[in-house]
Amino acid sequence: MNEEQDQVLVRRTLRGDKKAFEMIVRKYQRPLLNYVGRMVGERELALDFTQDVFVRAYASLRSFEPQYKFSTWLFKIASNLVIDHWRKKKLPAFSLSEPLGEDGDCLTVDVPDDEPAVARKFELAELRQRIETALEKLPGPLRELFVWRHVNELSYEEMAEIKGLPLGTIKNRVFQAKEMVRRLLQEMS
Amino acid sequence: MNCFKINDIYDYIEGSLSSERREELERHLSVCPRCRRAVEDRKLIAGAAFGLPPLAIPDDFTDRVMARIAPAKVKPPVWLFILACASSFLALTAMVMNASGRSALGVISGASHSFWEYVKSAAVLTAKVATLLSLAGKTVRPLLEAASKGLSLLTSFIHPGLQVLILVVAICLVVSLFFGMKKKLSLGD
Repeated sequence: MNEEQDQVLVRRTLRGDKKAFEMIVRKYQRPLLNYVGRMVGERELALDFTQDVFVRAYASLRSFEPQYKFSTWLFKIASNLVIDHWRKKKLPAFSLSEPLGEDGDCLTVDVPDDEPAVARKFELAELRQRIETALEKLPGPLRELFVWRHVNELSYEEMAEIKGLPLGTIKNRVFQAKEMVRRLLQEMS
Repeated sequence: MNCFKINDIYDYIEGSLSSERREELERHLSVCPRCRRAVEDRKLIAGAAFGLPPLAIPDDFTDRVMARIAPAKVKPPVWLFILACASSFLALTAMVMNASGRSALGVISGASHSFWEYVKSAAVLTAKVATLLSLAGKTVRPLLEAASKGLSLLTSFIHPGLQVLILVVAICLVVSLFFGMKKKLSLGD
C-alpha cells in the first residue's frame, strides 16, 4: 500500500474532493472487512462496522497526523470499534500488556516437545478451514494480532503503533497467538 | 541437547534471527529431529494462515459508504469558526456605526460607558442580595434549632408505635385538607 499516494488522497479529500475519498474506500474496504469480519463473526455486522470505520475516518480526517501511516490510523479506528463491540457484548477481553495467566504465558517460553506435527495431517484447504475455526476460539485480542499479522500482513511495528504497546510485547503476543492456534489444531485433529 | 525456544523458532521462520543465531539454530536442526519437526509444522501453519481466503465485498459497498458520508461534512477547524465569529462581529459593528451615524470612537466609548454602568449596578445588586440572605440565615437558624430540639424532646417521651400512628394521622389530615381545599377553591389538577 503506497503511503505517499494515501497522503495525497487525504489532502485531496480535505480540499473537498469526494472522489479521492472514494479511492481510499476502494483501497481499504477489503483489508478492513477481512479484519473486522474475523473479529465480529457476523457478516452483516462486519459490513456495517467497516462502513462505520470509513464514516468515522471521513468525519475526523483533519485530526489525522501525516507523520503516521494512514493505513495504521484506519486500523486503529477499526480496532476501537471492535473493542467497543466486545465491551457491549460483555465478551471476555484482556489487556495485551498484562500476563495471560498460566495457560497462555508458558506458550512462548517452552522448547518444542514431542507432540506430532499437525499441519501435515490436513490438505491445505482443510488446514485453512481449521485455522479459521481455531481463530474463532482464540481470545479476541490475540485473534486481532493473528489476523493483522497473517491476513492483513501488518508489520510488528505497525501493530505496536496501533495498540500503543512496546514492539517486544506485540511480538510475544503474536507468537502466543500462533502457538494457541497450533494447540487448537492439535485438539481438532 | 539444548533445544531452541519457540520464540527463536518463530524468529527463524520470519527471518528476523541474527545471522549468528540462525547458523547456530541450523546446526542444531541438523541433529535434532524434534526441533526440525517443530520448525516444519509452524512453517506450514504460517504458510496456510497467510493464504486465508478473503471475505467477499458486496459490489455496492463503496457506494453505500459514499452515500453515508455525503450528508456528513468534514469538521471545519476551530480557527475557522473563530475567524467567522470575529468577521461577523466586525460586520455588525460597522452596520451599527453606519446606522447611528456616529464615529467608531464614539460608538466604542458609548458602549464601554454603558457596559461599566451595567457592571456597577450588578455589583450593588449582588451585595444587597448577599446581605439579605445572611440576615435571613441568622433569623431562621435559631428557630429551626429550637424546633428540632423540641421535636426530639417530644419524641423521647412518646412510644415509637404511637409516633408512627401520629405520623400516619398527620399525613391523612394533610392529604384530606389538600383535596378539601382543592374542591373548595376549584384549583383543578
